[in-house]
Amino acid sequence: MTDLLAGYRAAGPGHDEMLQATGAAREAWGRLADLAGLADARQLEWRADAVENLLRSHGVRQGSGPDERPWRLDPIPMIIDEVEWRRLDRGLAQRAGLLDLVLADLYGDATLLSTGVLPPELVLGHPGFQRAMHGVLRRPRQLFLHGADLARNADGAWQVLGDHAEIPLGMGYAMQNRRIVAEVLADLYRHARIHRLGPFFQKVRHAVAQAAPRGANRATAPGDGAPRAVLLTPGSDSPAAFDHAYLATMLGYPLVHGGDLEVRDGRVWMRTLEGHEPVDVVLRHVPAVECDPLDIPPAPGASHHRGVPGLAEAVRVGGVTVLNPLGAGVLDNHGILTYLPRVARALLGEELLIASTVTYWCGERAMCSHVIAHLDRLVVRSTLARSRAVHGWELSIAERADLAARIASQPHLWVGQEPVEASTTPTVHDGALVARSTRMRTFAVAGAEGYEVMVGGLARVTLDSTDVMAPGTRAVAKDVWVLASQPDAPAAPWAGWDAEPRVADSPAGLDRHPSVLDGVGSGRSARALPGGAGAPTGATATAAIAPAAIAPAAAERFFHLGRQAERAESAVRLLRTTVVHLAEPTGSVGGEAYVVLRRAVEQVLGPGSLGELLADASNDASVGHAVVRLARHARAVRDQLPPQTWATLSWLERAIDDGRVLAAGGDFDEAVFSGVTARLLEGLLALAGIAAESLVRDAGWWLLEAGRRIERARRLLELLEALLVRRLAPGVQSVVLEALLQVNVSFIAYSRQHQAWASVESVLGLLLFDECNPRSLTFQLRRLQDVLDHVPGSSARAREDLVGGVVALLGEVDLRVAAEPDAEGRRRELGEAVRAMRWRLDELETEVVRVHFARVVSVPWGDGVPGGAVGGAVGAERQGDPR
Amino acid sequence: MNRNEEVQRYLRVRHRASYTYSAPVPRTYGRAIMLPRDGGGQRVLASRLAVEPAAAYSNEHRDFHGNRSTFFQVDVPHAVLGVDATSVVSVTRRQARPERAPSISWSRAAEVIHTLGVPGRGTPEEHGVGEGAVTAIAESTLASPLVEMSESVRGFAAPSFGPGTPLARAIVDLAARVSAHSGEATASELAHGYIACMRSMGQAARYVTGYVCSAVDATGVALRGTGALHAWASVWVPGGGWLHVDPSNDQLIDNRYVVVGWGRDRLDVTPLRGVTYTEDLAAASVDVEVVEVEEAEARALAEELGPGAPAGVTAVRL
Repeated sequence: MTDLLAGYRAAGPGHDEMLQATGAAREAWGRLADLAGLADARQLEWRADAVENLLRSHGVRQGSGPDERPWRLDPIPMIIDEVEWRRLDRGLAQRAGLLDLVLADLYGDATLLSTGVLPPELVLGHPGFQRAMHGVLRRPRQLFLHGADLARNADGAWQVLGDHAEIPLGMGYAMQNRRIVAEVLADLYRHARIHRLGPFFQKVRHAVAQAAPRGANRATAPGDGAPRAVLLTPGSDSPAAFDHAYLATMLGYPLVHGGDLEVRDGRVWMRTLEGHEPVDVVLRHVPAVECDPLDIPPAPGASHHRGVPGLAEAVRVGGVTVLNPLGAGVLDNHGILTYLPRVARALLGEELLIASTVTYWCGERAMCSHVIAHLDRLVVRSTLARSRAVHGWELSIAERADLAARIASQPHLWVGQEPVEASTTPTVHDGALVARSTRMRTFAVAGAEGYEVMVGGLARVTLDSTDVMAPGTRAVAKDVWVLASQPDAPAAPWAGWDAEPRVADSPAGLDRHPSVLDGVGSGRSARALPGGAGAPTGATATAAIAPAAIAPAAAERFFHLGRQAERAESAVRLLRTTVVHLAEPTGSVGGEAYVVLRRAVEQVLGPGSLGELLADASNDASVGHAVVRLARHARAVRDQLPPQTWATLSWLERAIDDGRVLAAGGDFDEAVFSGVTARLLEGLLALAGIAAESLVRDAGWWLLEAGRRIERARRLLELLEALLVRRLAPGVQSVVLEALLQVNVSFIAYSRQHQAWASVESVLGLLLFDECNPRSLTFQLRRLQDVLDHVPGSSARAREDLVGGVVALLGEVDLRVAAEPDAEGRRRELGEAVRAMRWRLDELETEVVRVHFARVVSVPWGDGVPGGAVGGAVGAERQGDPR
Repeated sequence: MNRNEEVQRYLRVRHRASYTYSAPVPRTYGRAIMLPRDGGGQRVLASRLAVEPAAAYSNEHRDFHGNRSTFFQVDVPHAVLGVDATSVVSVTRRQARPERAPSISWSRAAEVIHTLGVPGRGTPEEHGVGEGAVTAIAESTLASPLVEMSESVRGFAAPSFGPGTPLARAIVDLAARVSAHSGEATASELAHGYIACMRSMGQAARYVTGYVCSAVDATGVALRGTGALHAWASVWVPGGGWLHVDPSNDQLIDNRYVVVGWGRDRLDVTPLRGVTYTEDLAAASVDVEVVEVEEAEARALAEELGPGAPAGVTAVRL
C-alpha cells in the first residue's frame, strides 16, 4: 500500500493510525486503500462529495443560531482492530464503573472527601456538585451513560482526555456517520467485518427500561405496562439539536421540552393535547442547572423557563428516574483526572487500565505553582462546564500573567494539562490525503453486569491543526470501524440498523422525486428508522416503550409547518402565473393583465421585486422566507418526520439558493426563474406527498392539515379580493380569470366543465362552491370541520363556531349578485363577503393557537432567586416566535 | 457579653409568610425551610407547616445540611399563597464562654481545617469531628454564591487576627467590630460580611437562620432581630465544635435563640421560595412572632400541633 500512498506522510512524531497499523487493521487499511481509492484524487473527491450530499439530504446540522452549519464528515473511517479494541473496551468499562462509584459516594457518604482521597474543595467548590441531589443517588449504576474523549499518544498508548457524564453527546451523530460512510464505502463496508452500532442502542433502551422506578411509582402505559421514557431537550435551537432528535428517533422516545413536562404528586407527567401521560424515565439532554428552577439554582444569566419545577423532588421521592442523574456533571470536572488513579486504588483496588492525560489541579498548592511556572508549555482550562482550553504557548507574556492571576484568584477551578501528541489518521482535504490528529468519543451504558461500551464511536479531526486539544471550529467527524473476527450474527438484534444502504424505504412515490432529479444518488436515504410504532420486536420487547402522544410545543410546529408549506406553494404558483405575462407589451391585453396580476402579487404577498419575493429570505413575504420557516418547524419535530423529509427540505433550500441571483437585482432571467420555481413546486409537492402518505394520523398530523387548509382558504380569499373585486375590460378579465384558475390549479377542471369563455360567475362557482374541487373554499371548510373534529382538546366550541361562521357567510353569497359590478365598477358584495370570511379565518387561527399551544412559563420567586427577591422579569417569554 | 441565668425556656414560634399575586395563578410549587431542627441545646416539641390554599402534595426531607426542608405543591387557582409555620421549642442552650473554648490559635485552626482528612495529618476524630463533618467544614471555607472573599474583606478582618490570637477571641472581637460598623445593614448582610471575613482568614464559617425572642437579658438589653427571621454565623473551632455568633447583637447565642437551619449562605436556607406561572408577582409579606411560654402551655400547644420532628404538612385554614 505504500506505493499507492506515496504522498501520504504522517505529520509529526506521533503515531499514525494507518502507517503504523499492524495485523488485521493493516490489512483493512490496505483494502480500504484499494477499494476506496485512497491513492486516486478523483476517487477521493467523489467520495467526499457523496458524503457531503448525503449529509445535506439528511439535514445533518450542528451549532445553533448564526453559528448553525452543516455537519462535516470525512469519508475515511478510523480503523481499530479487535485486539486493540478489547483493551479499550475493558479500560472504558472499568472507567465508567469507577466513575459510577465516585458519583454514588459523592452524593452519599462522601468518604472520598472525608478520607482525603479527593480534596473536598475539588468537589464542594465545583458548580457541578448539586447539593439538592444529596442522598438521592443511592441505587447502583447511577451513571447511566458515560462518554470519554480519547487520543492515542506518540508511543501508541491510548489516554483519556476527559469524561462526559452531564450530557454525553454524540451518539446520534455516531450512528448517522456510520450510515453515511457505510453507504459511500458500501463495497468495502459489506466485505469488511465491522462491528455494528445498532446493538448498543438496543442496550440503551433496555437499560432505560431497567432504570424506571419500581412498584407503585411505575407508570403503566396502556396495554403493555412498559415504562415510558422521554428525551428532554433544550429545544431545536440548541447546538446539538440534531443529535438529540436523531437519538430520540432511534430510541423511539418522544422529544420533549421542559414546558411539556409537569410534576404532580411526586411524579412526572407529559402534557399532551389529549391530557397528561405519566413519564417514568427522563433521558436528560439539558444541563442540570436548567432542569428545575425550584431546587437547582440556575447558572447566572440562565433562563428559568426551560425547567420542570419539582423535577428534583420527583427524583427524590422515586417517582421518576432522570438519566444521567441530575448532579452527574460533577464528574466532568477535569480536576478529578488528577486523582483518578488514587480513587481507583481506593474504590476498586485496581490500577486504571487507560491513563488520563497528565493533569495538575491548581487547588493543590504545589500543583498550582507548577502550572503557573510552566504556563508556556501547558494546556490550561477552567473546570467549569463549557470552558475552552487555552494553550499556554500561544499566549503573550502579558496574557500569561493575566491568566496566572485568574488562576491564583480561584485556583480550585483551574487545571493545567500536558499537551497530547495525538495519533494521526488519513483525512481527505482538498482532494489529497493528509495526516490529521484524531480524538475519539466513546460511549458506555450501564448494564446488569457492568458497563457496555459502544463498539465504535465518534472520531473528530481538526483540519487546520494537528493539535487534538485545539478547540476545533473546523472539526470534521470520522466514523470509527472496529474490525470483528466474527461477523455480528445476522440475528443480532438491530445489527441491521447501521446500514443496508440500498434499501428503499419510501412508502410514498413522490418523496424521492427531488433526489432523483438531483442526479447525485442521494435519494437512497438510510433505511427507515425504527420509531415508536415500528420498534423492534422479539428480544427487545422488554424494552418496548409505548408510542407517544404529542406535546403542545410539537403540535404547534406541525400546525405552522402546514401553514408555511401552503404559503410557499401558493406564492410559487402566483409568481409563476404572473411571470407568464411579464413579457407582454405594455398596453396589450396581456400587458394589462400583467399589471393587474403584479398588483395582486403585491397585495397578497407583499412588497418587493419578483426575484425578492421568490428568494430573498429576509423579506418575510417571500417564498424563501416561508421555506426557512418551514425547515425550522420541521427540524423542531425531526423525531416525528420520516427521513425523506430532509432530502426534500434540502432540495427546497438549494432551489432558493439558486434563485438568489434573481433577488440580487440586475436583469430578470426568466429561464432561471422558471427552473427554480419548477423545482420549488416539485419539492413542495413531494412534501405534501410525505404528509399525505408517510405520516401517522396523530394529533400533529391533523394540526398540520388544519394549518394547510386555513392557509389555503385564506389565500384563495385574498386572491379573489385582489383580482375580482374591480371590474376589468372584458379581454383583460378573461386573461386574469384564467390566471386565477391556474394559480388555484383549477384550470383543467374548469375547462372540462365549461366550454365557453370563463365568466366571473362560473369561476367563482368553481372556486367557492364546488365541493369536488380540492382547491375550492367549500372543500377547505368541509375539510377543516373534519380535521378539527380529530384534534383533541377541551373547548372545541369556539373554533366550530368560527368555521360555521365562514360556512354561513359563504352560504349567503349569491353568485349572480356577487359577480355583478355596481355603477362604480366594483363587486362590492363579493368584496364584503370575502373580507368577512377572511376575518373569521384569522380568528380561527388565533383560537387554535390559543387553545392548543398555550404554553406555561414558570417564574421563580422568593429569596432564593439570585438578583432579586421577587420579580417577574422572565414573565411570559416565549421560546422564540414559533410562526 | 452577658450570660443569661435562666437555663430552660419554652418558646412558641410562629412564622407566617404570604405572597400575593396580581392575578390568580393556576399552581405553585414551593419549598420551605421554616421548621427548626433539633440539637445544639434546643429540642423541637412540635411543629407544623400549614399551606393555604391546601397543598395537594407535600414532602419533608433533610437537605444536604440536615435542615428540615418541605416541598409543597398547590394545585388550585389562588391569588394569595400563605405559609404558616408554628413550632414549640424547648431551649436549654447556655451562652458559650470564649475563655473556656479551646485555646487554639486562628492560624493553627486554619491549618487543621485545610488538612482535615489528608492522610497522615491526624484523623478527623482527633479534632473532635465525625467523618461526615469533614465535608461541612471544608465547604464552609469556600466562597459561595453570596459570600465573596476579596482583599478588602481580608483587610477589614485582619485587625482581629493578630499573631497567635486564639480563634475564640478572634470570633468575639470580629463580631464586636462588625457590629460597630453595622449602620443600616440587615442581620443577613452582617452575617454574610462576618462569614466572608472568617473565610478569608482560612476559617470555616456558615450562615445560620433562626429566631430570637424579645425577652431581655440580665442587663435589660433586648435583642435586635425580633419580628423577622434572624440570621447569624457559626464558626468551627477545632476541638470545640461550631460556635454560633450573632454579629447583629454582638454576642454568642443563648437560650433566646431558636436555630432553624444553616448552609453556606442565605441561598441554602431561604425560608420560602417557589415557582409559579404568572407574568408579574406582587407583594410578599412576612410576620414572625416568638413568645416565651410556660412549660404547661408549651406541652398543651405541642399536644395540639402533634408530634415534633419529622412533621408532615397539614393543611389548615389560616
